Amino acid sequence: MPNMKASLQRTLWISRVTFLEAVRQRFFAFLLVLSAAMVLSSVSFRVFDFGHGELKFIADFGFGGMFFFGSVLAVVMTAQLFFSEMDNKTALTLLAKPLSRTEFLLGKFCGAWAVLGVFVIVLASLLGLVLWAREAELIALAEQSGKIPATFSAAGLAEFVLLQWLRLGVVTAIVLAISALARTFLFAVVVGSLAVVAGQLQWIAQDAVLKPSDSLLYEGFLWVSCRLIPNLQQFNIGDALVLGSAGVAPGAVAEVALSGLLYVTAYLCVGSLVFRRREI
Amino acid sequence: MSSAISVRHLTKDFRIGIRGLKLRAVDDLSLEIPRGQVYGLLGPNGCGKSTTLKIVLGLVSATAGEISILGHPSATSAARRRTGFLPEAPYFHKFLTGRELVRYCAQLSGVAADSVGAAVEDALGLAAMTEAADRPIGTYSKGMLQRIGFAQAVVHDPELVILDEPTAGVDPVGSAAIGRMIHTMRDKGKTIVLCSHLLGQVEQVCDRVAIMDRGKLVLEGAVDDVLARRDRHVMTVEAMTPAARDAAEAALAAHGAKVTSVTHPRRSLEDLFRELVTGSRDA
Amino acid sequence: MRRFSPWIFAFVFIAGAGVYAETSWRSVRPSIPEIGRKDLEPTLGQGVLLGVLGGLRTVVADLTWIRSYVLWEQRDRAGCEALMRAACALDPYSRYFWEHTGYVVGYDLAHWEIRRRGGYGKVPAEVQERLFKGYALRGVDIFEEGLSRSKVTTPLLLCAAQLAEIKLKDHKLAARYYQKAAEAPDAPWYAARICSQVMWDDGRQLEAYRWFRAYWTSRMLPKEDGFPDDLRQLRMMEGVLRLSPEDRIPRPSWEK
Repeated sequence: MPNMKASLQRTLWISRVTFLEAVRQRFFAFLLVLSAAMVLSSVSFRVFDFGHGELKFIADFGFGGMFFFGSVLAVVMTAQLFFSEMDNKTALTLLAKPLSRTEFLLGKFCGAWAVLGVFVIVLASLLGLVLWAREAELIALAEQSGKIPATFSAAGLAEFVLLQWLRLGVVTAIVLAISALARTFLFAVVVGSLAVVAGQLQWIAQDAVLKPSDSLLYEGFLWVSCRLIPNLQQFNIGDALVLGSAGVAPGAVAEVALSGLLYVTAYLCVGSLVFRRREI
Repeated sequence: MSSAISVRHLTKDFRIGIRGLKLRAVDDLSLEIPRGQVYGLLGPNGCGKSTTLKIVLGLVSATAGEISILGHPSATSAARRRTGFLPEAPYFHKFLTGRELVRYCAQLSGVAADSVGAAVEDALGLAAMTEAADRPIGTYSKGMLQRIGFAQAVVHDPELVILDEPTAGVDPVGSAAIGRMIHTMRDKGKTIVLCSHLLGQVEQVCDRVAIMDRGKLVLEGAVDDVLARRDRHVMTVEAMTPAARDAAEAALAAHGAKVTSVTHPRRSLEDLFRELVTGSRDA
Repeated sequence: MRRFSPWIFAFVFIAGAGVYAETSWRSVRPSIPEIGRKDLEPTLGQGVLLGVLGGLRTVVADLTWIRSYVLWEQRDRAGCEALMRAACALDPYSRYFWEHTGYVVGYDLAHWEIRRRGGYGKVPAEVQERLFKGYALRGVDIFEEGLSRSKVTTPLLLCAAQLAEIKLKDHKLAARYYQKAAEAPDAPWYAARICSQVMWDDGRQLEAYRWFRAYWTSRMLPKEDGFPDDLRQLRMMEGVLRLSPEDRIPRPSWEK
């Protein structure tokens, strides 16, 4: 038990410094400001809207910012945090101490994931604020015209934030596993980005599995795709959760969250195994 | 008592390119580094000394051979807990202050929470970095970086300290300061392994040296033993006149000895530099 | 074997996470109706992919719609329809997209096709009629799809009814749509009158009268001024059907 505690403490120290390093990066600040501007500007862009639900149009800017900039941040920042340690040789200093490589990798993950948590929470808070303000206006207008006003669910937004954070956690774990294998930052970023796209489109294979096929080769390909590539699309149920556009089955959010945690653990295991063999 | 570091038949091959061509960096190296001494590992660039140290620290895996540190197999947590390491041209997170870095390293090295503060201050004091400890590392000069690197390496009071090119790029004043730190550590009974190709410095601070070339050990022994020429002697004479010199040569010749050269002793340029700029510490 | 056991463990762990993801995916799949639409496939390479990947669907749908209008001006049948259908698939809750896609496909495409074949003078009348009906059927299909996916149904019912009446000349089908629209809680005032007129024109005069009378009595008479124009239409029907005074609607006090 004392060993476990000491190990957790070392992991925590690595993640703390990783977090401090990441939040000081201009890249993080740039993406955060860009995403925040995108959410705030959604109110002005309403004039270009073609009859969508108005709250949906605003929410989509927030969802888009979280998805797009969050993914960019998860891929580029994680790879950068890992390779800055390798290229600057700070990893040499740290790994020569009684710090295992698994603890190092886990610390990097926790630090990067914490930064992504800040990113998602800041963006979701802004989005919630904009939605709340516009919802109040729409309710007042609806009362005058006797129509049913459009509303959004703050609890649904909180659930969506959790799911997005988990999705970015899965991306971070994948990028760390790739970085542990990669020799260059560029390779890690390119392969990491491709992994995100593959993960977002994995549901095509998962849907196809449900349909019968005569080809064993095709079925084998689908099986491998479904098992090895994470399904990142399952986290994108923002419309249903926040705007109630479609129903969400009871317990579905918990199932997706558990799936995300399983993916995170699995990819961190792979990353740790790869990193243990890496020569620093 | 076991050696500080024991290396037996160590071989390291690197695979290069897609075809996996083998490059032998260390070739059947065997070394015993005794405890309580300053040990110099010398050799030209690319001779395998840094690779050897990385293997000792478990940062690179060996192709063949056995290594133990202070009686423990290398690359184990127990071995690393008693080892301090300063890498070549160290780089640390620029946003941390010197004190934060040393504290961070103390915590990673397993220093007990209630003694971290004292350990950090001791290490900063030893490295003469107390005054600059609250400045961000990004503002440090190269010499200060080496000294704060030294502080982080010794903050957990290790029995073995491995220094890879500790004075590379540092001016003679800084080099001398690092030399003093090394002596202080030796006086405390620690073992210091110094990897360098600055022969003058190694000669000044090391008790024993090993010289490597192309991955192989070519010479190993105490500095005095390997440098001394037993068939030659040096005498330093004050106020010598030509008559005195002739008389001395004649007296020596009577015993079968022959004077081969008479020169004026020289100070080294490094000594002269240190004498002139002494006190100009780069804090 | 011991050397590979951590790798085997990791592989089994990832495969296990993949197997569990099938369960979680089944649970949330119905909550994401926007993805997996065949309509998106032809346009995936035109920036629509970003919308499919997640987030920004509304914005991508808007941009797709704007681009479809460029093709509309160029009278590019295939491109325009593909992009408009893609916009509908990206945001299936938008009434605007369904309405205009149905209109463009149902009304415009047949004209573009006739022009492409040499114009109204060259294409035989029966071919023109076949084209009008063919595209109108496709338009009605689009409205039907919109009805099953969009939350706002009454306007789409009216669009489908109008297209069935004008281009398909299928009064039965048109009447069915008008009737559904008129019976909706948010039905516009004119829906029932047009519905009865279409049924009447279809030859179902008595049925049209009975339905319209029941509708007027239950939903129009109690409101505002009692809809005198609709009563006038009913009186006209009663006259044509030669109903006896006792079978007619009792005269309200305000009727002139």
